[in-house]
Amino acid sequence: MTEKGNRPVTKREAAAENRAKGLDIGWMVSGYLISGMLAYGLIGWLIGRAVHVSLLLPVGMLVGLAISIGYIIYRFGVQEAKKEMTGDR
Amino acid sequence: MTGDVTALVRGAGEAGGGCHIFSGCGFPAPGLQDFEWKPFFTIGSWGFTKPILLAIVAALVVIVFFWVAFRSPKLVPRGMQNLGEIAILGVRDQILRPSLGRKGDSYLPLLVSLFFFIYIMNVMELIPIFQFPVTSRIGFVWPLVFIVYFLYLYLGVKNQGAWGYLKNMIPPGVPAPIYVILVPVELLRFFVFQPFTLGVRLFGNMFAGHLLLTIFTIATWYLLSASVGLLYAAGSFALAIFVFVLETLVTLLQAFIFTTLTATYIASSLEASH
Repeated sequence: MTEKGNRPVTKREAAAENRAKGLDIGWMVSGYLISGMLAYGLIGWLIGRAVHVSLLLPVGMLVGLAISIGYIIYRFGVQEAKKEMTGDR
Repeated sequence: MTGDVTALVRGAGEAGGGCHIFSGCGFPAPGLQDFEWKPFFTIGSWGFTKPILLAIVAALVVIVFFWVAFRSPKLVPRGMQNLGEIAILGVRDQILRPSLGRKGDSYLPLLVSLFFFIYIMNVMELIPIFQFPVTSRIGFVWPLVFIVYFLYLYLGVKNQGAWGYLKNMIPPGVPAPIYVILVPVELLRFFVFQPFTLGVRLFGNMFAGHLLLTIFTIATWYLLSASVGLLYAAGSFALAIFVFVLETLVTLLQAFIFTTLTATYIASSLEASH
């Protein structure tokens, strides 16, 4: 048991909290991956249309994917690790 | 055939008319037509169909159940009040408290109503006579998504201010150039991906589940014949039972996921999660 406020947190409550958090993070990660590709794919497509270079659509999608992966590592890896170290959760 | 009878009866009826394997007629495959319903009656261009009736029944079931359970609550609960309390405490302890904590208890009526309304609409799929999950028609899912998203945005703007809410989407400490790069990703995720997946997840699961159940039920009848087809029919029947059991879990799980995500959205609106 760990302390939460004035009362101990049971294992069952901790499991329910982890489940809710896991569900949220799981969908957020897939959301970032798809949104990154779509957002930068769209930007690439718009620029490509203006300058008549169709290759900018896949390039934009790959850039978006790279940004998303980097952001996911930062937000759910680096930042969470920092929070755990400082106990700010 | 239109949807004024259930898919099961349709399949049985057609196959019962001699349409079995090795009889020269093809498999009456279920499809989108099993989700289209002939209106019971029309008012102008608006038709009152079976899914509408089932949605009203689902709402009435939830209202009547909780009304009966709590019309005269006792300190020591008995009978229906016991069931009602189990239902409410289940949502509170498994969905609300893990995301919102005790401060979120004021949202319990919303989450309980949402959970049970979605669950009853889903579980209609498995109840004889009803035999259709209302949420497999996406038109019934979008209003729920809009309600949740409107509340999500309203609470976010109310508690953090419009600018603060937008700013808090990206965690602090991110360098300014990276911040600019992340804005399109966050905006698309927040305003398009998140509401879209909230609705489509529920709709897709119920649509696919109903289709699977229909396929194996109709196939069992179609394959039934005094030949090796009997063996195929037994296999199809076993799969129909398996899908049925699976769907009893899926109906509950989808209601749980929708409500849990609603609770996490409300939590992130009440305070910046970073």
